[in-house]
Amino acid sequence: MSFDSTYTRELPLVPERSSFKEIDDVIFRPVEEAPTRKWFIAITISSLALMIGAVALANTFYFGIGTWGNNSTVGWGFGIVNFVFWIGIGHAGTLISAILYLFRQRWRTGIARFAEAMTIFAVITAGIFPVIHTGRPWLAAYLIPYPNQNSIWVNFNSPLLWDVFAVSTYFTISFVFWSVGLIPDIAAMRDRASGIKKRIYTVLSLGWRNSNRHWQHYERAYLILAGLSTPLVLSVHTIVSFDFAVAILPGWHTTIFPPYFVAGAIFSGFGMVATVLIILRKVYDMEHIITLDHLEKMCKILLATGSMVGYAYCMEFFMAWYSGYIFEQFVFINRAFGPYAWAYWTMFSCNVIFPQLFWFKKIRRNIPIMMLLVILVNVGMWFERFVIVVTSLHRDFLPSSWAMFYPTWTDLALLLGSFGFFFTCVLLFVKVLPSISLAELKAVTENAQPTHKHHH
Amino acid sequence: MNKNSELTKGVITSNDLYDTKEETYNNKDVNYWRGFRELYNDPEFRKEVESEFDDDAGKPFDTSKLSAISRRKFLALLSASAAVAAAGCSNYRDKGEIVPFNQKPENLVEGNPNYFASTFQIGGEEIGVLVKSREGRPIKVNGNPEHPVSKGKANLAAQATVLALYDPDRIREPKASSDKNSFSTIQWNDADAKIIETLRAATTAGKEISIFTSSVISPTQRKLFDDFIQQFPTTKIYPFEQVNNSVKNSAWNKIYGQNIAPAVKWDEAKVIVALECDFLGLEDGKTEAMRLFAKNRDLINNPDNYSRLYSIEGSTSLTGLNSDYRLRLRTDAIEELILALVNEFGVKRGGSALSLESGIVSKVSSFNINAVAEKYGLDKEVIGHLVKDLDANRGTSIFVAGASLPESTQISTYLLNEILGNTKLYSFDFKQDLTPLSTTAELADLSGKMKGGQVGVFINFDSNPVFDLPRNLGMAEAIMNVETVISFTEIDNETSIKSNYVLPCNNPLESWGDYNSRISYFGLQQPLIAPLFNTRQKEAVMLNWMRGGNNFNESIYHQYLKDNWQQNLYPILNASASFNDFWFDALHDGFVLLPSQTQESLQFNQSAVIQAQPIKPSGGKVVLLTRNYTLGDGKYSNNGWLQELPHPVSKIVWDNYAAISLATAKANGLDSNDLVNVSIGDRTVTLPVFVQPSMADDVIAIELGCGRSSGGKVSEGTGFDVVPLIGNDGISPWVYNNASISKATGTYELVSTQEHYPIDSPKFKDIQFKRRIIQQGTYKQFKSNPKDIVDRVEVEGIDLREFPSINGEPIKYTGVKWAMAIDLNKCTGCGECIMSCNVENNIPVVGKDQVANKRAMQWIRLDRYYFGTPEDARANFQPMLCQHCDFAPCENVCPVVATTHSEDGLNGMTYNRCVGTRYCANNCPYKVRRFNYFNFRHEFKDYHYHNDSMQLAMNPEVTVRSRGVMEKCTFCVQRVMKARQDAISANRELKGTDVITACQEACPANAITFGDMNDKSDPIQAYRNSDIAFYSLEEVKVRPNVTYISQIFNIEEEIPKAGHHND
Repeated sequence: MSFDSTYTRELPLVPERSSFKEIDDVIFRPVEEAPTRKWFIAITISSLALMIGAVALANTFYFGIGTWGNNSTVGWGFGIVNFVFWIGIGHAGTLISAILYLFRQRWRTGIARFAEAMTIFAVITAGIFPVIHTGRPWLAAYLIPYPNQNSIWVNFNSPLLWDVFAVSTYFTISFVFWSVGLIPDIAAMRDRASGIKKRIYTVLSLGWRNSNRHWQHYERAYLILAGLSTPLVLSVHTIVSFDFAVAILPGWHTTIFPPYFVAGAIFSGFGMVATVLIILRKVYDMEHIITLDHLEKMCKILLATGSMVGYAYCMEFFMAWYSGYIFEQFVFINRAFGPYAWAYWTMFSCNVIFPQLFWFKKIRRNIPIMMLLVILVNVGMWFERFVIVVTSLHRDFLPSSWAMFYPTWTDLALLLGSFGFFFTCVLLFVKVLPSISLAELKAVTENAQPTHKHHH
Repeated sequence: MNKNSELTKGVITSNDLYDTKEETYNNKDVNYWRGFRELYNDPEFRKEVESEFDDDAGKPFDTSKLSAISRRKFLALLSASAAVAAAGCSNYRDKGEIVPFNQKPENLVEGNPNYFASTFQIGGEEIGVLVKSREGRPIKVNGNPEHPVSKGKANLAAQATVLALYDPDRIREPKASSDKNSFSTIQWNDADAKIIETLRAATTAGKEISIFTSSVISPTQRKLFDDFIQQFPTTKIYPFEQVNNSVKNSAWNKIYGQNIAPAVKWDEAKVIVALECDFLGLEDGKTEAMRLFAKNRDLINNPDNYSRLYSIEGSTSLTGLNSDYRLRLRTDAIEELILALVNEFGVKRGGSALSLESGIVSKVSSFNINAVAEKYGLDKEVIGHLVKDLDANRGTSIFVAGASLPESTQISTYLLNEILGNTKLYSFDFKQDLTPLSTTAELADLSGKMKGGQVGVFINFDSNPVFDLPRNLGMAEAIMNVETVISFTEIDNETSIKSNYVLPCNNPLESWGDYNSRISYFGLQQPLIAPLFNTRQKEAVMLNWMRGGNNFNESIYHQYLKDNWQQNLYPILNASASFNDFWFDALHDGFVLLPSQTQESLQFNQSAVIQAQPIKPSGGKVVLLTRNYTLGDGKYSNNGWLQELPHPVSKIVWDNYAAISLATAKANGLDSNDLVNVSIGDRTVTLPVFVQPSMADDVIAIELGCGRSSGGKVSEGTGFDVVPLIGNDGISPWVYNNASISKATGTYELVSTQEHYPIDSPKFKDIQFKRRIIQQGTYKQFKSNPKDIVDRVEVEGIDLREFPSINGEPIKYTGVKWAMAIDLNKCTGCGECIMSCNVENNIPVVGKDQVANKRAMQWIRLDRYYFGTPEDARANFQPMLCQHCDFAPCENVCPVVATTHSEDGLNGMTYNRCVGTRYCANNCPYKVRRFNYFNFRHEFKDYHYHNDSMQLAMNPEVTVRSRGVMEKCTFCVQRVMKARQDAISANRELKGTDVITACQEACPANAITFGDMNDKSDPIQAYRNSDIAFYSLEEVKVRPNVTYISQIFNIEEEIPKAGHHND
């Protein structure tokens, strides 16, 4: 990867002095070796979850959205909660690969590829929900502005339409960014593979020959894509937050939502990346590549974003009181003390209180506690979206139409299925593509650094 | 080269070109050559040149080598396969057939409705209706606007008749059973022949032929019965209504010697005191009562007359919640209060219009108002107001006792009215039934005769004795002992399944008939459609039996009816027109006015009062049985529209329940949904309990008519049968004060359309006022300072209409702009508007489970908010429908522009464009949008309402929405468009008054006004410009177009005011 001339020595990012060959072997091992038993167990579980989700989806398509818990008062339920949750998960990838790249945060190398892949899968997972949550998903094309003889155009005032553009742009850019980053590594795999694999990797590597010129162009393209992706990190979740902020519903109609949602998205994204990485580095013996230092840095980001989210939670209460708008005041009192108080306090403790433990270095470097906390972050962030969507809707302006939302088995199965889909994708990914950027990693190993003679 | 080949004729080949250039090659032009080989004309080169386009290209076609598929054939195949593919991909939208008329009926223009006047019998009442028919299908029942009583308003059951007509559960063929159990289809002729034989045999054997029917209010039906009796002399008629006015009538009879108790001129009363009398809800004649009552609750058109309504009752009735003052008093103690008032006004104070005999004076001397108030914890201030009002309004106040109250209470009430000089407020336009209702003794006698085998033939004349009659009569067993049981019915019921013959009879919309329940007119019923199934009118079938059974045709009862009118009615009218003209006029009008009769003066028989034994309140609980608000005695329980109409007070659908007060619930450790055993003597019924605010303690109010065991598919599993509670030990057939209640095991989920929250907790207290959903005040405030009543949200100096809309240029609304006004003072919360909207707009029935999921589809919600304490709560009712906001928040969030604003101010829904994101519903502050979570016609009871016959019930002007589509009130856009069309074709301006929305049409109190807000002469202006007009949730600034008129209570005390100034 790119080097700057003013390189000063930092703590080694890959502590062991592994040779390039060793790194190749470690990183390609999951791809090249026959799937392990652990992998089979994992994919069995995840695809089972996926199948359960598929059954629930078939049920939804056959009978209608009525199979979900949504009702006339609570028009959005798990569908939108899951959508926002997964879009949020997708944010860490781009942040890690683009923003941290631009800021020359080299520690990202070990986790960037993986985080990017997670972004892609999370965005795909997320993208399923807005489509299937509509009453007539077969007419989803109506959301695309295409010329037609009826002269019906889409409504550019609607945040849902902005969503369509934001999410599809985000997916496209992320996908291109990820694919471009993969080219040198795929080429490396091509060089090692044989048979049908070789042919596939040959096609995918787009004729990469490791020439100097290729590298120059590659570096430039990567930088440009990183530049393009960076605003998307902020814009996508900002626009997703508009789905709520543009509405007049108390609890949704809040200007704090864009920054609050972005912080929350990064928070949840890092939570999910950390969750998966902790497992992955263990399963594939990559502890020396995805090091504790990496994880500790992620914990720091979790602490920072978690606190931002906590600030937003508190600020919402302040604004509700300060606005003098009784509808808004009621919504927040109802959130904290109403029938869904359990969801609110689950959210609050998982997202704000528990991550405060990351102030302690011992905890940041303690894998089991870290694992527990990041899982709680995932839970908390899912509940954040649940709290925003459901508790705002269930008791809004007219008490006569107040209602409760209870998920059905279809709702729960679709949530499970979304995890199944995501993890199936992740598992297939680690099986067919290098889950750590080989080229970037090699660039930050000791062997790649300018050395002085006395070291040898 | 084969130049002679036919195929190559006219085709230029490369060879031709070279041939013509032969000379060029021969003429060796040394100045122009491409290579030496050309220069020297090398034969090899020439060959190469000739075959430059190698293979066959340069050669003539060899057809045998060509593909067998020609260009044309290819194109033909291409288009054919495209057609096959297109045909194979079936369209998901429903397909129907369009069949033109072979012979176009007279006066029928396709697409235009026809209206026919008719009359229905609902329970013991007749309702004059106007039926809208499209292409021969009746699709909507409204009141007949010219009818002297209906005045354009029908009632719930009458409106829902459309669904009953097309009910898929209707019996389609006559059937017979020898063992009263397993049935097989039978031909009408066979059934008739066999039945006639049985009838003759019964007559010969001297066995009784019992005809069990509902109230007989039809003169021609009465004549039919008379003729039948002549033919078969052992016949006896048993008219029966489960809940009726017999007690009221017999009390009147004892006092005044007339058989029928009068109604009330509600519009002339200044003070109305309703004693357990739900005259706005459950009593007979409620549609008329609401219309007349509302006249003096109209502050826009009649601001100087505002009546005051007191309710004294044990149950929480709709009337009670609409009253100005309400006293909670257990039903059996009401008489004590009345006697105390008799003592007060008849004895203590002077000025009694009736000088009381000493017997009465001594009888009432022990009753004292203060003592009664003390004893039952009545609010002394309210009692004080009552006494003062009665004193000040002698002659213009009226006490009305509910039909369920015991005879002695009725007598005391009549006495009190007499003392106060209120008798001129009685309305005598009522006739007693043409055959008196059977007494309990007669029914017991019938049951005995049936059990004893003395009844040869039992004819269930479209009634249901096994379910409706008190169970201690043992009708279910008795009927098995009758040799031949014949049931006329539309849908199988508990009696028909134990019959030998089940004869499917016509719906009222397929029938002829006449009615005479009033002194002033005759009502006429005419069929709107030929029988849909192989059914016959029950009267016609009887007529056929009388005539020997061989001459049935569809018009025999029609002719019989006509003949009867010609012989008996026409002569007394002294009409100048011929009978034929008269008859067609009557058919057109739906009624015939009769010459007025003088009312004989009333002679009060005081000894009846002295003889009446006053009711002594017992220590037990009071059970009050009423008819079902929507289902009546259960006859209509297979009607999904009626089942799903929220109860106006509790908002519960699909069930009945035991309503008890909070204190009674606490004392017995009960909560809503707990199953309880309600026992009277040895009779026990288990049903769920519902804690109803404002109930008097120790009163259990239960509605009858539910829990049908064999009432059709829709009624399956709904409600609880409480008829077993009826016995002989009550203070009236419907009131028992020796009951007890105890917790049974288990719970049962009652489903209500409104969530319950504690109205007295600080979080929710007066929430409808704090949020400015409802604005209210008192009549005193209205008279002194009406501007002070509404708490307005003002943004100083800014007209929000000038604000730029984020949707681009705001619409200017230069032409007609539609708006609605709803007067909360006239609205009683009865729900007729919801029913009318259901029928007009093809709103599906969703079922109890879906209402529980908050997915009811009704476009109008009748919101009910309590205020005060749960023990003694008052209520506000508010019809909530799409407000067609100028800044409609639903519109800007729809990604596909499926909901948009029209230039006449309507918020429209384009169903075809809707993808169902539901964002619009989320963003609607009024939550009036309804989403088709399922195709409810499929979902409800397994395609029950997807049946072919139901397709006929749909209003063709309104799209039937599929699954996944959002819908909501359209302000009846189809009616708006029709009015516009009519105005254009008549070349006149469209006026606001040209459009009458379905809800407006049905509102018995005329609380809804619809019109053009841009027209200064439109009647809606008076509402919109009123000082007490407000918008609900004005603060949200969506600029709604439904104006509400503040609710004004005619009380002296302060009342919670809207706005959150108290916070």
